[in-house]
Amino acid sequence: MTYSNKEINRLTPTNEDTVGPYYPPSLCENNNSLDMTNIRSGIVFKPLGEKITIKGCVKDIDGKLSNGCLLEFWQPNSQGFYYRPDTESHEMVDPWFTGYARHRTKDGNFSLTTIKPGVADGRAPNITVTLFSDGIMRLVTQLFFADEKSNSDDPLLLSIPEELRERLMINKVAHNEYEIEIIMAGNNETPFFDDLLS
Amino acid sequence: MTKYGRQLGIGPTDNTSNERTPRNKLNLIPEAARTSFVPYAPRAHSINLAEADMTRIAPGRPRASGEAIKVSGKLMDEYGRPIRNALIEIWNANQHGGYTHDEDHSGLPIDQNFLGIGRTLSSSDGNYEFWTIKPGAYLARPDIGRWRPPHIHVSIIGGSSRLISQMYFPNDPHNAKDPMRILMGDSFEANIGKKYIVTDGDFDCGYNFDIIIGGKNPTFFENNIT
Ligand SMILES: [Fe+3]
Repeated sequence: MTYSNKEINRLTPTNEDTVGPYYPPSLCENNNSLDMTNIRSGIVFKPLGEKITIKGCVKDIDGKLSNGCLLEFWQPNSQGFYYRPDTESHEMVDPWFTGYARHRTKDGNFSLTTIKPGVADGRAPNITVTLFSDGIMRLVTQLFFADEKSNSDDPLLLSIPEELRERLMINKVAHNEYEIEIIMAGNNETPFFDDLLS
Repeated sequence: MTKYGRQLGIGPTDNTSNERTPRNKLNLIPEAARTSFVPYAPRAHSINLAEADMTRIAPGRPRASGEAIKVSGKLMDEYGRPIRNALIEIWNANQHGGYTHDEDHSGLPIDQNFLGIGRTLSSSDGNYEFWTIKPGAYLARPDIGRWRPPHIHVSIIGGSSRLISQMYFPNDPHNAKDPMRILMGDSFEANIGKKYIVTDGDFDCGYNFDIIIGGKNPTFFENNIT
């Protein structure tokens, strides 16, 4: 095997470690309310798009709710545009939507209020989830909307076996209301993804 | 065709790790979806400088009991480039191994002068420093006598990084049997603070802990803005 100089000179990364059971909830912004549609409370401006609520839970190998998980959500706005340092002055940015929220769930349940993400860069609408919990290192995945036609062309969904795709689907249960179960291990385990560089 | 990434290991003697570690290999992220896995966490809050001093509940309050220590180091990427203005969150147990978290039901003594939660930002050179009390070990599995070694939890959210890790202490007898340490193997060395002598102020000693954010943990790389 050959290595470039760049690789030889790389520093040894600090290992990830488990977040443990006692991540301080008070460190999360916005007093831990998981509402991406209200970045500046008490004023009339709101983000563009369809406001939705996603009720979800995180479960373990025995089907038990997983307490104490730190959940981080990341998505584009309703126009399919991501807010990032390199895009922040772009006209497609919605000034009332950053697309990022985090929350420590006490009992394994969560309820995310957000805007339905738009179509970004040839992708089906999706929400990236980062999950930290006691006993594990960081897990990442993306959640999709079951009723979206563009799912059939999404490169991430196409990269995994067909029978696993439905496990990433957020299901509509009522007008503007959705549900998802994230299963960390075992039967019907949620597909998680790995970094390109690992 | 599915391309696979790592198979995550289960921490030996760690029941929670057994219950929560995915049994399937991780799926490798296809290049077309790559950027969407790089969250940008905008920081809306500001940091009070006093939050980096965990040896007191608030400025002017009495010192918490136990060994007062400095922890300092540099946040860098794998190429040694500093990670600037990153949010560093810290939490650790008191000298008895107890947390102030209301879900810690261990019954270990609580120190009224120790909150155990702090925050700071890395400087424009990537450097950081916080003060805390050296945490005690705690018995994680009384049934088999397995302890958690003293450790300080750190979370880093930066323009360029997302990492949750722990700093351990050199030569602690409980290090060897820790499940996460066993999963790390020889690279555990990177997670041990290096002790140094502190001459200024009232501290027992300091620990140097450089934090290198590796390829598995980037969020938005500010250095890649073109
Ligand atoms: Fe801990």
